[in-house]
Amino acid sequence: MSDAADADDLHFVASADDLPPGDRLVVDVENREIALFNLDGDYYGLSNYCVHQGGPACEGRLGGLLVETDDELRYDRRGEIVSCPWHGWEFDVKTGSHVARPDQYRLPTYEVLESDGDLYVRF
Amino acid sequence: MSKPTRSLDVEIVDSDFHTTESESDLYPYLEAPFDEMLQVDDSYFGQFYPSAGYVTPVDTGRAEMDKIRSADDVRDAMELLGTDASVITPGLNLRLGMVHHDDLAAAFATAYNEWALDTILDDVDDVYGTAVVAPQKPEKAVAEIERRADETSVVGVTIPSGGMTPPAGHERYFPIYEAAERAGLPVLLHNAGTGLMANFPHQWQWTNRYIDVHVPYHAAEHMFHLSTLLTNAVPVRYPDLEFVIQEAGVGWIPYFLHRYDNEYSEKREDASMLEKTPSEYIRDQFYFTSQPLEGTEDPSYVCNMIRMFGGAESLMFSSDYPHFDFDFTDQLLQMLRREFSTAEIENIYGATAKAVYGI
Repeated sequence: MSDAADADDLHFVASADDLPPGDRLVVDVENREIALFNLDGDYYGLSNYCVHQGGPACEGRLGGLLVETDDELRYDRRGEIVSCPWHGWEFDVKTGSHVARPDQYRLPTYEVLESDGDLYVRF
Repeated sequence: MSKPTRSLDVEIVDSDFHTTESESDLYPYLEAPFDEMLQVDDSYFGQFYPSAGYVTPVDTGRAEMDKIRSADDVRDAMELLGTDASVITPGLNLRLGMVHHDDLAAAFATAYNEWALDTILDDVDDVYGTAVVAPQKPEKAVAEIERRADETSVVGVTIPSGGMTPPAGHERYFPIYEAAERAGLPVLLHNAGTGLMANFPHQWQWTNRYIDVHVPYHAAEHMFHLSTLLTNAVPVRYPDLEFVIQEAGVGWIPYFLHRYDNEYSEKREDASMLEKTPSEYIRDQFYFTSQPLEGTEDPSYVCNMIRMFGGAESLMFSSDYPHFDFDFTDQLLQMLRREFSTAEIENIYGATAKAVYGI
């Protein structure tokens, strides 16, 4: 950690060993439910409260995205799209944006940092 | 799953809460001759109830659906939703009106009602059911209503109206309405997306995405049922009978009422037994369940729609749980709080349902 001021905003959440690539972890930090994702070594954090109706936004299927180009259906971005199990709303793990209506709905994101094998979120 | 916030100080009645019975749940309850005639294997799920083959968010794993097949399942779900009472409606049996073998359809109706009483209704307080009947066999539907009418937990008659052919106003169903009126039970009409296959077969064949079905279908099929109920003067013939129209949201209701009154002004002969305007019959004898509530990004839209059909007296909150397009309990409330009085909100969340169902 760079300095004490930063450290005040950082909250220890898990050991990096608990979150291998392709995995996700939902943690409770000071009354915030935050979902942590490891996409090929890059960490992402999203609020686990669905902006639609309050479901557990990051606890449903972690999968890819069906896209259609030139009349061809393709399954893309495997592991980068998470769904809320209540109604199936899809969110982009990297940005928190709702896939279908990104300008209207987004899950709050959290910066996730690794230091000496431990994971921290900043807020 | 996250916890709901109980934000209402009234007894909340959920007017559309689904069981998820499987076909094999019903086999042990099938009565003669089907108990002996059918040699069914549990692995043949959905053998007799047609499926339209839609690819839904449950099939792609985007949404997960709870199972409601026991009293404990109901209790857990009601705790999640924060509701105080529920009127259960069928799952698979929403397709009952399309079962190909009419007598088997009637036997499945009986079997479902037995299963629901045995598995859920006899074991849990504040959960109510209806006598589900097969529209294919009106005389057996009458017998089923008479058989269930004295059960304290049975508070209505459900006609699975998805794919119901002919539509609900046809005279062949008059005995069902007469029996329901005699028993003092409202008739619930609940469609199912599969109904497109039976009543709109060209649209089923020529649409190939689920959203093509689910957006237009529910209200469309209800409009045919409602329109024929009016032209055949069912509310005039059975003045003490009430209807509960389920699962189509709210915006289509003022549209339908206004359009119907407008056309009635020029086509009165088509509904010549009516003694008042069509919308007055709807306001007096018809109730609507709220889910799936559309337009929640715009609360003034929701409030206006509900005002325009007199929803303070006729709208009843429903979750539709555990279906993946269910409405969480607080959502409608957040809309109503802007413009509706506490008394009106209490109507919508419980008082109207209690009066309609007699609970």
